[in-house]
Amino acid sequence: MTTAPTASTGPTGPATLTATDLALRFGGTRALDGVSLRLTRGVTGLLGPNGAGKTTLLRVLATAVPPDGGEFTALGHDPGTASGRLALRRTLGYLPQTPGFQPEFTAFEFVDYVAILKELTDRGARHREVRRVLEAVDLSQVRGTRIKRLSGGMRQRVALAAALVDDPGFLVLDEPTVGLDPEQRMRFRELIAQAGEGRTVLLSTHQTEDVAMLCHRVVVLAQGRVRFEGTPAELTARAAGRVWSSTERDPNALAGWRTGTGSFRNIGDPPTGAELLEPTLEDGYLLALDGENTEVAA
Amino acid sequence: MSTTTPTATEPVRAATEPPREGRRAGAVLALARFEARELLQQIPVLFFFALYVLLVALRLMSKDGMDDFPVLNTVDRRTQAAPLLFALALFICANAAALRSRKHATVQQLAVLAMEPWRRTLAHVLSVVPYAGLTALVVAAEYTREALKPGAIGQGSAGELAVGPLCVLLAGITGVLLARLLPSSFVPILFVIAVYLLGVLVSGFVDDEQDWVSRLVPVQLFSSSGGDPVPSDLLGRPAGWHALYVVGLCAVLTCVALLVAGGRTRAVKAATALALAATAAGAIGQLPGDTAALDAARRTASESPQRVQSCSTYDGSTYCSFPEWSVVRDDWAEVVDRVRSAAGGAAETDLTIRQRVDTSGGVEADAALEPSATPGEVTVGGRWGGNRVPEFAVGVAAVLVGGSEDVTSEPMCDARAVTVMWLVLGNDPTPSATFRNVRLDDSTSGSGVVLAPTNGLSLTGPQTTVIRELLDRPRAEITARVKAHWAELTSARTTTAQAAKLLGVEVPKEAEQCGE
Repeated sequence: MTTAPTASTGPTGPATLTATDLALRFGGTRALDGVSLRLTRGVTGLLGPNGAGKTTLLRVLATAVPPDGGEFTALGHDPGTASGRLALRRTLGYLPQTPGFQPEFTAFEFVDYVAILKELTDRGARHREVRRVLEAVDLSQVRGTRIKRLSGGMRQRVALAAALVDDPGFLVLDEPTVGLDPEQRMRFRELIAQAGEGRTVLLSTHQTEDVAMLCHRVVVLAQGRVRFEGTPAELTARAAGRVWSSTERDPNALAGWRTGTGSFRNIGDPPTGAELLEPTLEDGYLLALDGENTEVAA
Repeated sequence: MSTTTPTATEPVRAATEPPREGRRAGAVLALARFEARELLQQIPVLFFFALYVLLVALRLMSKDGMDDFPVLNTVDRRTQAAPLLFALALFICANAAALRSRKHATVQQLAVLAMEPWRRTLAHVLSVVPYAGLTALVVAAEYTREALKPGAIGQGSAGELAVGPLCVLLAGITGVLLARLLPSSFVPILFVIAVYLLGVLVSGFVDDEQDWVSRLVPVQLFSSSGGDPVPSDLLGRPAGWHALYVVGLCAVLTCVALLVAGGRTRAVKAATALALAATAAGAIGQLPGDTAALDAARRTASESPQRVQSCSTYDGSTYCSFPEWSVVRDDWAEVVDRVRSAAGGAAETDLTIRQRVDTSGGVEADAALEPSATPGEVTVGGRWGGNRVPEFAVGVAAVLVGGSEDVTSEPMCDARAVTVMWLVLGNDPTPSATFRNVRLDDSTSGSGVVLAPTNGLSLTGPQTTVIRELLDRPRAEITARVKAHWAELTSARTTTAQAAKLLGVEVPKEAEQCGE
């Protein structure tokens, strides 16, 4: 049925989004603390632990909430001005972490509703576009079904279709694969990979597998700050020589856990003579967090 | 992070796209169509619209004879209250539609789409316009159907006809505004209760329906509407100003909703000022104007109607009515002919049929007309058709028999009551049914009161018995006897028993008790 997409070194080229020193406070909490980013076309993964500020960053970039400080431009539009914000919104697709639905709407009606709010006025062209995106997410067969009768995975695809309608140049996806079973997740990865062709896609996720399979670039965020920005290969390479195996958990390791073979996989500064292991993206991610939130139970 | 790197920009969109502003307006209209279609799928909207249409259809199909002679200046007002339940349903559903995003937690994802919340609010407002349009169609159908009847009297007011559809629109807009001001699904219910209680409270001290305060209520809910129709110029209802006031209210509430939703554009602010001005103009225009002139016109119409009426003569009798009622003079003449013919030509008094109204208690009060003391003058009221026809016949017959209407001020415990009723029923196609209908107690036995345009006619039990007997006999025979004994049968000295003998029917055995 599906073939797992693989990460490429990815498209590079000119920046489609440039953010400088983005800051946002919620009360006394710095949700974003001087975030600077540069995105290009293709899928960029945004990794980070809970509370790292991923959703906040996505909401800022999706113009849902203005930053307290800093600025960014996306696809040449400055959302700091009303006209720039409107222009950006016209070319934006946003899938929030927990998308809401009008349960009484059919899948077609919901996406059509979103298409109208995206100001697609020609009824015939709009309906063709709605059918196209529903077909793209493989929901053509259930487009007349009320959303309340659809499964969780189907609903998530409806939300993705709504984000994809009108062929947005900038797609913001906030943990779209959460709650999906492995088959649905694989299907979703395919869709995201397709969406990343020719678009700028920012994908927030907890799953390093998603990043490994989909993203040409990755940003690691922790405590509102960018800890790493580069390619997945570069992130993985950061763990080279810093992953080792032992029979007991190494107390000096930043993180360590028992593997299926019974031995421990440790991350950090290995002792002399340690049996080094091939690093993974997850090892690089954990090291990028630099010891914060890297406690993994043995 | 450097910000000097080259930046890719959005691809140029197709040249066939309409200009942005046109596209934005088109999107609002597209959303309005979408929301209007959603409203159509709401059960309360469907149910109450169907109920509204059904009630109007039933009213139009009613077989009450009075419906053949609709007075159009009451028909127009009658169209206002019927759609109120539909308006209430639209209020609830428009509110729910405007709250939908909040209820289903889609606010966050929809907030980043191109169409701003105030434009969406405008679309919600526009989505109720088709329902006001549908109401206008029903109102127009109802009024047209009535106006096309051959017996239609006078004409209605466009201002009055507009109020029903405008109230439907106002209800929908109020629902949208409430959703923006107080976004909770409980608010509409509380609002309806509050409006009801306010209405009860206000009606406690605003009992005069001509009061200016009551005119600020979109629909005249306090109107008793029990009075006889009166000429349009006596109504004193500034219907045009009232319609302007309701239009202004709709516009003001729309503008407030747009402002609350963030639409603080120059156009919206200018529209708000214009709407406030229209509302104020409508409210001020309803202020009682030249009340002295209106009172004088009403007094003239009540006390000296001949000064404002036109007359026509037919077969020796004169028929005088307010101009709007000239269309029914021929029908009055037919009744006079029929009543006269039941006397076989013996009833030769020339009559003056005079339309009268009594506005001393206001135009909505159900005032009883006093009998005319003028010899040969017969009163006719504002309604015609149905039971009003035999009632008028009673008035005509009473004047032919007694000389004037005030003869009915005292009970006629003699032959005259029998003669009056024979004249009424003698040539009636369904005399027994008419006899029953024209009696207050809907019976054909015992004593009772027969309705007339002014005072009713009291019948004793024996008189009722004689009349029933007469209806069983050949009409030609009775008519000949009436003609032959006209003098005796129209004399107060001839008893009911003697009348029975003169007319050739069995004398009632029961004793006659006058005033029973």
